[in-house]
Amino acid sequence: MSSAALKVPTDDIRICAVTRTFAVDARQVFALRDVSLGCEAGSFTALIGPSGCGKSTLLRIIAGLEHPDEGTARIGGATPQQKCRSGALGVAFQDPALLPWRTVRQNIALPLQVLGRSVSSAQGLIDQLIQLVGLQGFENARPGQLSGGMRQRVAIARTLVTDPSVLLMDEPFGALDQILRRSMNIELQRIWMEKRPTTILVTHGIDEAVFLADRVAIMQRNPGGIAQVIEVPFERPRRPELFAAPEFHRLEDEIAAVLYAGMAS
Amino acid sequence: MQALSVLLALAAWEALGDWHLVGQGALPSPSAIVAQWWQDRDIYPAHIWATLQPALIGFVAGNVIAAAAALAFMLIPALERLMRGFNIAIFGIPPIALSPVLVITLPGQWPQIVLAAVSVYFPTMVMTLLGLQDIDPRPIDVIRSYGGGRIAVLHWLRLRSCLPGLLGGLRVAAPAAILGAILAEFGSGARWGLGSFLLGSLGRGDPARIWGIGLTATAMSAAAYGLCALLGRRAAASVLAVTITPARIEAQAVARGRARTLRVLLGVGAVAMPFLIWWGVLKAFAVSPVIARTPWGVWQYLVSAPDAADARAGIIQALGQSLPLAGAGLLIALAVALVLATTGTLWRGLNAALLPAAVFLQTMPLVALAPIIVLLFGRGIATTLVVTVAVTFFPAFITIAQGLAQVPAASLDLVSVYGASRWQKLLLVSVPMCLPYLCAAARLVAPAALLGVMIAEWLATGYGLGGVLNTARGELDYGMIWAVAFIAVAVSVTFYQLVKLIEERLLARFRMAGG
Repeated sequence: MSSAALKVPTDDIRICAVTRTFAVDARQVFALRDVSLGCEAGSFTALIGPSGCGKSTLLRIIAGLEHPDEGTARIGGATPQQKCRSGALGVAFQDPALLPWRTVRQNIALPLQVLGRSVSSAQGLIDQLIQLVGLQGFENARPGQLSGGMRQRVAIARTLVTDPSVLLMDEPFGALDQILRRSMNIELQRIWMEKRPTTILVTHGIDEAVFLADRVAIMQRNPGGIAQVIEVPFERPRRPELFAAPEFHRLEDEIAAVLYAGMAS
Repeated sequence: MQALSVLLALAAWEALGDWHLVGQGALPSPSAIVAQWWQDRDIYPAHIWATLQPALIGFVAGNVIAAAAALAFMLIPALERLMRGFNIAIFGIPPIALSPVLVITLPGQWPQIVLAAVSVYFPTMVMTLLGLQDIDPRPIDVIRSYGGGRIAVLHWLRLRSCLPGLLGGLRVAAPAAILGAILAEFGSGARWGLGSFLLGSLGRGDPARIWGIGLTATAMSAAAYGLCALLGRRAAASVLAVTITPARIEAQAVARGRARTLRVLLGVGAVAMPFLIWWGVLKAFAVSPVIARTPWGVWQYLVSAPDAADARAGIIQALGQSLPLAGAGLLIALAVALVLATTGTLWRGLNAALLPAAVFLQTMPLVALAPIIVLLFGRGIATTLVVTVAVTFFPAFITIAQGLAQVPAASLDLVSVYGASRWQKLLLVSVPMCLPYLCAAARLVAPAALLGVMIAEWLATGYGLGGVLNTARGELDYGMIWAVAFIAVAVSVTFYQLVKLIEERLLARFRMAGG
């Protein structure tokens, strides 16, 4: 697919004073307290933080899977639910969440079916996506026949099938080993640069966040919120050598310092 | 090696049979059974068909209703709560108690069809509902993030993922349908059908023929089970989730406490519902009031009619005879099952060998084999106990063995690290961990225990609820037939709820999730 022809107008993401609480044994626990975050159209933001800081909850609110108790989330000025129904969102989870009885091709087509769009007219696009994630020859395999990395790539292809203007990823490579993860990071950058959807990536990996994102939002817990946002100045496309560069490690250390300071308090 | 042991067992059986070593010829030799079967080959097809046809119709009808009910319960949870009493009553009905009621109210093949349908309803409904509800939560998020609602999740996810559950239910239901059809013949006095054939032969005391009929019924059940198992295996292979499902916290978060008044209303409705349906069915089909008894009619018969005291006394005496035997049979079956399942885990391979055999034997219409047990053990209390243990043991064993198999390997490794012996592992880890399964086994096989007791009483001893029912049937004492059916269901449901209460207490005390 030629990158110029398919360039879609992307949406920005605005999160305003979002609060979300959960009841634990009749006690109210703040998963998120008064969180605000803005992401420009076409930007790549990484959310990083300790377990329980509410980063997944924040992502689920943006994806329209949960509602905030207070505050608003807007994508291109519309509510997440409105955006969901137009197929503007692509969401990838830590687990590929593939349907085991469907082939790779059928799994990628699922969002189209849910949206009530034609699958037969999208066969060309599905072929392109399979090529994009490097799964040629496995079109008719079922998830049980694929390795963990291959399944995750099917899930990535599935998030792209609606040509989304917003890409939301919740630790999509969290279950992969370090080596595979790195090659997936490089692949994700390539895919992202072709289409430039507004992207939010939730991750535990500082290296992953620095390598992929334009800026890293560091979250804290009790109550969940954003402690600091750090800009990542590196040029794109970023090459694998960057992982070994001193300035890369300096930025990693800076982020780590904020993370551990938040945990000590 | 296995073939050799089978041959040896057959040879021993042949010897025991030929020399009339057991119960003065009650155990015929295999060759005698086959010879008798060959002699009867002309009449078998008609008997088999007379049982198979209504079983098949009932199987299809019962399963369609069960699947539709499961779907409705999934879509409207309040409906499930409202119908819970009815569902448990259907589960708890000893088919033998329902059989005479059906025979006096319905014409022709209908009693067989209805009893077969009633027998298949519960297993299919429960397993389909479980399949519809208990789905992988992660793909739900995928569908919802494209704006898909409940209907989209149902369409793309639930309908397909409930298939293994549905087919698993059919597997259990298939032998149950055949058993239901046979038990309806016990009360009907019909000319054809394996049940009628069995009863007639019991009267004539022809061991070789009784064994032949019992084994034929067993083969039919096993074939039905095998057919459904084959279908199920195909479907199950493609639905198993590829990765481990994360803890389902969301499901609990969604199930928030409902308004108290609504809960109470639904609870009252759940108790009233079985009676309403009972009354409604009689009204809808305009069953003659001479024969039919509404809930009010049974109340009159047992409480307010002039000779109610006599009826009550008869039933109380019968309960006094049946319940201790049912309880004893249940306890023996559970104890033997627990001991065997735990020894099975001590000696590796034993459970692996026993479990498939138990799963197979569970499908046998053991109740229909009751006449054989009567032949072997006579017409006393021993027969009642043996029949009861025989019908309850296998399901109990399977449930407990499954519980023991679910004990996490890490927990066992943990105590092994400190040098625990096999016995210590069993006592410290395995048995406490399978406590929920032990409770579930008690709850699930209790109705079978009552069924076993009543069958033995009906066929052999003439005591207890089964005896009273058989006498009432002979004397066309309609009031008593309805009263016994009602009491049998009530006892079954009460026991079920009692065990459930104990189970909940126990599990809450040990902070174990509901099994």
